[in-house]
Amino acid sequence: MTDEMPVYPFSAIVGQDDMKAALLANIIYPSIGGVLIRGEKGTAKSTAVRAIADLLPQRRVVRNCAFQCDFLDTRNLCTSCRERIAEGEVLEPVTVKMRVVELPLSATEDRVVGSLDIEHAITKGRKQFEPGVLALANGNILYVDEVNLLDDHIVDLLLDAAAMGTNFVEREGISYSHPSRFMLVGTMNPEEGDLRPQLLDRFGLAVDVEGEKDAGRRAEIIRRRLAFERDPAGFCQRYEAQQEDIRQRIERAKELATHIEPDEKLLRTAVAISLLLGVDGHRSDLTLVKSAIAFAALEGRSSVKEEDIVTAARLSLPHRMRRQPFEESRMEFETIRSVIAESFGGP
Amino acid sequence: MNASYPFPAITGQENAKKALMCVLVNEDINGILLIGERGTAKTTLIRSVEAISGQKEIRTIPQNITEDRLLGSIDIETAVTGGAIRMSPGILAEGNRQILFVDDINLLSEEAVHTILTTSETRRVVIEREGFSRKVGTTFILAATMDPAEGGLPSHVLDRFDLCVCLDSIEDEELRIEIVKNRLRFEQSPEKFCAGYDGDVASLRDTITKAQERLPYVSIPEGHLELISNLSMELGISGQRGDLAVARTAKALAALDGRDGVVFDDVKQAALLALEHRRGETPPRVPDIPPYPETDEPDDHPQGDTNTNAGSGNGSSHAPPQQRQQHEAMESATDTGTAETPRDAEQVFGIGSTFEVIRYLDETSKKTTRRQKSGRRTRLIGADRSGRYVSFRLPGNNKNDIAFDASLRAAAPYQRFRKNGDLAISLTLSDLREKVREKKTAHTILFLVDGSGSMGVRRRMVAVKGAILSLLTDAYQKRDRVGLMVFQGTDARLLLPPTKSVDVAVRMLRSLPAGGRTPLAKGIVEAAKLLTRGRYAAPEENKTVVLLTDGRGNVSSGRKDPYEELEDTAQKVAGTGIRFVVVDTEEGYPRIGMARKLACDLEATYFCLEGLDSRRLADSVRGLIYGTG
Repeated sequence: MTDEMPVYPFSAIVGQDDMKAALLANIIYPSIGGVLIRGEKGTAKSTAVRAIADLLPQRRVVRNCAFQCDFLDTRNLCTSCRERIAEGEVLEPVTVKMRVVELPLSATEDRVVGSLDIEHAITKGRKQFEPGVLALANGNILYVDEVNLLDDHIVDLLLDAAAMGTNFVEREGISYSHPSRFMLVGTMNPEEGDLRPQLLDRFGLAVDVEGEKDAGRRAEIIRRRLAFERDPAGFCQRYEAQQEDIRQRIERAKELATHIEPDEKLLRTAVAISLLLGVDGHRSDLTLVKSAIAFAALEGRSSVKEEDIVTAARLSLPHRMRRQPFEESRMEFETIRSVIAESFGGP
Repeated sequence: MNASYPFPAITGQENAKKALMCVLVNEDINGILLIGERGTAKTTLIRSVEAISGQKEIRTIPQNITEDRLLGSIDIETAVTGGAIRMSPGILAEGNRQILFVDDINLLSEEAVHTILTTSETRRVVIEREGFSRKVGTTFILAATMDPAEGGLPSHVLDRFDLCVCLDSIEDEELRIEIVKNRLRFEQSPEKFCAGYDGDVASLRDTITKAQERLPYVSIPEGHLELISNLSMELGISGQRGDLAVARTAKALAALDGRDGVVFDDVKQAALLALEHRRGETPPRVPDIPPYPETDEPDDHPQGDTNTNAGSGNGSSHAPPQQRQQHEAMESATDTGTAETPRDAEQVFGIGSTFEVIRYLDETSKKTTRRQKSGRRTRLIGADRSGRYVSFRLPGNNKNDIAFDASLRAAAPYQRFRKNGDLAISLTLSDLREKVREKKTAHTILFLVDGSGSMGVRRRMVAVKGAILSLLTDAYQKRDRVGLMVFQGTDARLLLPPTKSVDVAVRMLRSLPAGGRTPLAKGIVEAAKLLTRGRYAAPEENKTVVLLTDGRGNVSSGRKDPYEELEDTAQKVAGTGIRFVVVDTEEGYPRIGMARKLACDLEATYFCLEGLDSRRLADSVRGLIYGTG
C-alpha cells in the first residue's frame, strides 16, 4: 500500500552510525538475529528501519508459494510446498526483493499466526489456512515499532516461531506449518518500560541512539527533512547515486562474508568476553563472531580486525548483561576492550 | 525432513541426553521436562531426538493451540460435503506413537497443560464436546521445555513429569569454542554438517532399537526396589510417581547398557533424573494462614497456632487455589521433617526465623484475591478482543468476537437440512459462538509510605526503594508497574509514577525525602484516586497499594479528629477494587496496633515485618501478588 510513497533515503540520514552499521550488518549476515534500537522519540529510529527497505537485496524463493519458501532451503518448506513435491511437481524459483513487514501493536493473535480462511470455509465448505504476519515475514524483516509495548501473548507467539524458525499452527481446526525465519527489528523508547529477557535475547544487536547534539548537524537534519517533504521524489532522486553505492557495498560485503573463516583467535576472544561478562547461553558468542565478520565485510576487508570485534562487542553484549538493581554503573567498556586486545591482539 | 541439528553433535548436557534416550527406550516413562535458561540448547536437544528415534515423528504443540486442535472436533468438510458427522482428531490423538513437543510449557494456558499431562498419563483423550463423547487411546512421548526466568510451574505439575533435567550453560572455555564452531559450520552448510554425523546417528538409533527390544526382559532385583523406596522417602517425596519413574528409568538405563538386570548405578542415575524436581522444596517463605475469624480480637499473636493448623491441611477447603497449593507445599515440607512445627508465636516469628511474615487475610477481601491462580502470571478471561483465543462459548452480549471456526462446527451437522443458496455453509443465529480469550493481567503496585519523622524513616525508605527495584527487575514481572507515593507534612506526593522501567525508577528514586507529620488519611485517599481515575485506572488490571505505616495518622485534612477521619476514609476506600496490603512498621513495646486496626478497616492483607529490609519486603509482596515465595 505504502510502496508507492517515496521513503526517506537511508543515505540521507545524518549521523547515527551505530544504528546504520547494525542494520547493514544484519542484511549482510541475516542470522545475526536482528536489531533492537533504543532511544527517545524523534531520533530517526523508525525512519532508518523503513528506509532500509530500499536497500534490501533480492532472494530466490519458490514460485507461487504464499510463504515465499526459500528455494535453496528444501529442508524447511511449508505444508503446501511439501504437498506439491509429493504430488510430483517440480518447484521453480522466482526472484523477489526482501522487504520490511510491519507488525502493528494492535495486531491480534489470529492475524499474527494465521487462521482459518472464513470466506473459503463458508463458500466452499473447505478448511483453508489464511497466512498471517509470521508468514509474510518469512525471509524478510519483521519490524515492530514500540516493541516493548507488544502484548505478552503476541510476544509468546513471536518467540515460539523465532525459536524454531517455523510457525506451527494448530488452531481453529487448522493444522499447518510453514517456515518463518525473519530478521527481527524493534524500536523502543526505554522510558516506557523494558523488554522481557527472552525477547531481548532474540535480538542479535542492540543500539542506543541519542538525539544529535551538534547544532550544525541538527540544522542539517532539519534542512534535509524539509527538502524531502517539499519534493519527496526529487529528494530521493538526488540521493539515488549514494543509495546505489550502499546497495553495491551490501552485495560485495555479502560475498566477502561467506569467505571469511572465523579463526581460532576470533572464537577464543568471543568466548572469553562472554565468560567474563557472565552472559547466559551461547547465543552471544555466536552473535559476536557473526557480527564481527559482518563488520569486517562491510568495511570491504576479507579478515576480521580487532576493531571489528570491538564494534561487535559494543553492539551485541550490553543488552545481554545482567543488571542488578543496585548496580547503577555497568561494567566499563574499557575492560571488554582490554580483553579483546589481550585475547585477539596477543600472540 | 531432517532439518535439525544432529543429536551427537550437541556438546555436553549429558544428563539431558541420557534422559531423552531413556524416554525413547521406555515408553512407560511419562514425559520429560528440560529446564534451562535461554540459549542452553533445550529446544535443539528435543528436536534432534527425531533422527535417533527411528520411526517417530515430532509433533509440535505451539503456543497458539486452541482446544479443538488439542482434543479434536467435528470435521466440517465431511459434514458439509457429505453430511457425515465425523470427528477429526486433535493433536493429542494424532500424536499416538509419536513425540509431542511443547516448547515453553510454562507459557501455555493452564487448562492446556493439564489436558496434555492428563492425556500423557492416562493414555487416552477424553472428549466431551460439540456433541461428541469419546475416549481415544493415545500413547506418546511428551517432551517439554521451560525457561525458569519466565515463571515456574507449580510443584504438582512438575510432579507429573517423570523426568526433569536442568540444563546449565557451559562455562568451560574449550567446550564453548567447540559449540560456536560447530554451530557456525552447521549454519553454513546443514547437509554437509549433518552428513558428518550420519554414522553416529545411525549407531545411536541402533542402540535405542536394541534397548527397546531388550526392555521387556530387564528386571529389577527386589533389593533395589526397596532402595528406590528408601531413597525417595529420604528425599521427602510423598507421592508414588517418583518411585515408579526411578524404576522405569533404571530399566531403560540397563537396557541401553545391554544388561538384563538393573544395577545400583542405574538406580543412582535414574534417581538423579527422576527425583530431583520432586524433592520437597525449601518451605515457602510466606506461611499460609487460613482466613482469620472475624470474631477474634487481634489482641496477641494467635496466628502462630492457626499456622500450625494450616500446615496439617485444615481450613484448606475455603482457601483460594493459590493457598491450597501452598498447603501442599507445606504438607510436603512437614513430611520431610525439615520444617519445624511452629508452636508459639514468639518462636515462629522471632527475628531470623524462617517465618518472618505474619499475614492477616481478611475473608471479606477475597474479592480481589480470588483471581490469583498458581505461581505463574495472573491470567484472566478477558471481555474484549485482546488476549489468547483458548476456547469458545455461546455468545453473551458481546457478539463482535465471533469464533468462526466453532460457529462453523456448530452449524456443520445441519447443513443437509438447510437451504444454502450459493454458499456451502449456512449459518443461523443459534450457531454463533464467541471466543473465550485468556489474557495475562498486569499489576500496578503502588507503595504508599509513611514519610513522617516518627521513626526509622530512612531505613524504611531505603527498604522500599530496594523492594521497588527488585520487583521491577524480576524477570517475569516486567509487565507490571510499580510506583511510590510518600505522605508527610500535610501532603501526599507521588515520587514515582507507576512505571515498568527500572531505569526510570532508579533515576527518580535517587533522593528520598523524610521528616514531618503523618497525613495518613490523605495518603490513602490520594493513592486510591491515582489508581481509580485517569491513566492508571485500567479496570482489568490488578491494583495493589502496599501501605507502610505504623497506623498513627496525626494530621487531618478536615476539621475532624485524625483517627476518626482515618477510619472513615479506610472504610470508604475498601470497596473500590484496590487491594490494600498494610505493612506494620510499628516497633518496640508496648504496641498500640493501630496499623492492624487500619488493615481491618481497609479489608487489607496485614503483615508485620520484623527487621524491615528490601528483600523481605519484595518477597512478601511478590508472595501476595503472585502467590509465590
